[in-house]
Amino acid sequence: MTETLIFICAGTMAAATPILFAAMGELVVERTGVLNLSIEGMMATGAAAAFAVATVYESSLLGFAVATISAGLLSVVFATLTLIFLANQVAAGLAVGILGLGVSALIGKKHEGFTIEPLKSVDWGFLSDIPVVGRILFQHDFVLYAGILLIAIVWFVLTRTKLGLIIKAVGEAPEAAHAIGYPVILIRFLAVFFGGAMAGLGGAYLTLAYTPLWAEGLVAGRGWIAVALVVFGSWRAHRVALGAYLFGAISLLELSIQGLGLAIPSQVLSAAPYVMTIVILVLISRDARQIRLNSPASLGVTYRHQS
Amino acid sequence: MMRGLRRVAALFFVGVLTVGAHSASAAELKIGFVYPSPVGDVGWAHELDNGRKAIEAAFGDRVETVVAENIPEGPDASRIMNQMASTGAKMIMLGSFGYMNDGLKLAKKRPDMTFIHASGYKLADNFGNFQTRNYESAYLAGIGAGFVTKSNILGIVAAYPIPEVVGIINAFTMGAQLVNQGVSVKVVWLNSWFDPSKAQESARSLVSQKADVLLSLYQDTPSVVTVAEEMGVYVVPTSSDMKKYAPNHLLVSQQIDWGPHFVEMVKNTLDGNFKGIPYWGGMKEGAVRMESWTPNLSADQMSVINEKTAELKAGAFHPFTGPIVDQAGATKLADGEVIEDGALLGINWLVKGVETKLPD
Repeated sequence: MTETLIFICAGTMAAATPILFAAMGELVVERTGVLNLSIEGMMATGAAAAFAVATVYESSLLGFAVATISAGLLSVVFATLTLIFLANQVAAGLAVGILGLGVSALIGKKHEGFTIEPLKSVDWGFLSDIPVVGRILFQHDFVLYAGILLIAIVWFVLTRTKLGLIIKAVGEAPEAAHAIGYPVILIRFLAVFFGGAMAGLGGAYLTLAYTPLWAEGLVAGRGWIAVALVVFGSWRAHRVALGAYLFGAISLLELSIQGLGLAIPSQVLSAAPYVMTIVILVLISRDARQIRLNSPASLGVTYRHQS
Repeated sequence: MMRGLRRVAALFFVGVLTVGAHSASAAELKIGFVYPSPVGDVGWAHELDNGRKAIEAAFGDRVETVVAENIPEGPDASRIMNQMASTGAKMIMLGSFGYMNDGLKLAKKRPDMTFIHASGYKLADNFGNFQTRNYESAYLAGIGAGFVTKSNILGIVAAYPIPEVVGIINAFTMGAQLVNQGVSVKVVWLNSWFDPSKAQESARSLVSQKADVLLSLYQDTPSVVTVAEEMGVYVVPTSSDMKKYAPNHLLVSQQIDWGPHFVEMVKNTLDGNFKGIPYWGGMKEGAVRMESWTPNLSADQMSVINEKTAELKAGAFHPFTGPIVDQAGATKLADGEVIEDGALLGINWLVKGVETKLPD
């Protein structure tokens, strides 16, 4: 039983990390009032680019860097379409997302079916040797800890800093933000780039650490889950993070339940993480006033620059 | 869009190969190969491609082969095989179940061509199919698992509960029970043909529940195998030898070998006496064999395994020989009764000793 518990707890941290990166990025993007639906494609591009680079140059760090840049570049395409040419955000997001999936297939083609060494765990010294807790918390790679740090940073910036206020002002009332002198388009552009880069990192975590191989379709809907988590977590960093961990935990619990031989059809179990995560998040965020307060008023609305 | 891109890429690929073909010296027989996944360095498509190489080795300049890999089942596959047919291929190997209907349609239109198709059930005079009796190798691997397990719990990561997979699970379990009555078998269904991260987590979950031998059932990637090596439990892969992914903890690999069958079918086509037959090759035909047994089995244990291997190769033994009791305790095969091929092809019950139930 302890083993199963350790498996679920330790596994959750790893399983949630790719989604966490993408969701934190998307949270910032949506807070500025832009709905970016191309996260799935950006994760895939990051994943494939990271794997290709890591295979050829045998450097995971370089892989993460290239993933950040390549997915970031893809988000520039999206930002240019929606912020400069004022294209519809939903349609542009879908199109760029599909483009990203295509690009990932193209980049990854040559490297399909091969594996690399996964990332090494951080050495925490004696902490890693504590029974149970050590194995749950202190036997992971550095990117996973960076993901936890990212939650704290995003939470802090959004709720405790002037930058956070500017980001939220741009998302709530772009005209007003513009009127008092903030460069709305530039801020949104940078946010979209940040979101893309984080999605790329999340994708890279999949191919460099989590499942050290590339295959078309590897991202398997995680980008969509990230987008859903931001909405169902009512645009607040800690709830979005909770959602990511919940999703990871339930998907691992599903596998453990199967192994225990309980008589629940495995198809139902396979669907459980999606259903449960959303139901739980909806329940804890069901306060309508809170949702109105936190949902960016201009989300998805095209902003026309008036001078 | 992605489908579109892929289609363009695939057509381009075939186009290039065709151009190449025209400039090459005219071979007697041009053979097209369509694979559902990339060839990679292990797995299903990799083994099909080794079959292609066996053909080239056997016939040399008399044959010429063209390959289209990673072709999704459906209209793309249909287009590719028609393209191959119209550019001079006289024989086509279709490497996935879902190519069956399109392939059969083309076969009816082109009686001058011959086709061999993986794991389907429809036949025509010029359209045969092929499968392996992987339950035989799974039985032998099961014996090894029964010997090495200390916890008496074996874990299986499986894709979908189709008869072929169910048969393999049963054979693996019965093999283990031959030498170790106390084993119980846990199965995790992925409900997906391809999900490396879920396969990997399933393997971890089984190990956390004390399984110390894992069977990676039709996972095309080595994800389960690498997890087993990392966690220090034995592992048995299907399709390819994966020793290099688990140098210390590979129990044994079940290696598929399409070479002998492919070569025979090409020979028949060249000789003009091809028949569309259902081929179900096992250890006897050399279609599947054991590779890289772990050195950790004792000489006594290996002699038990070798004896059964010899019996299977001679066709003197069938793993599904009664008495066999299912999970609910009902007798499925009476003492000494051997299962018929038809019943095995549609098997939908698990033997006693498997803990996980079949999803309805």
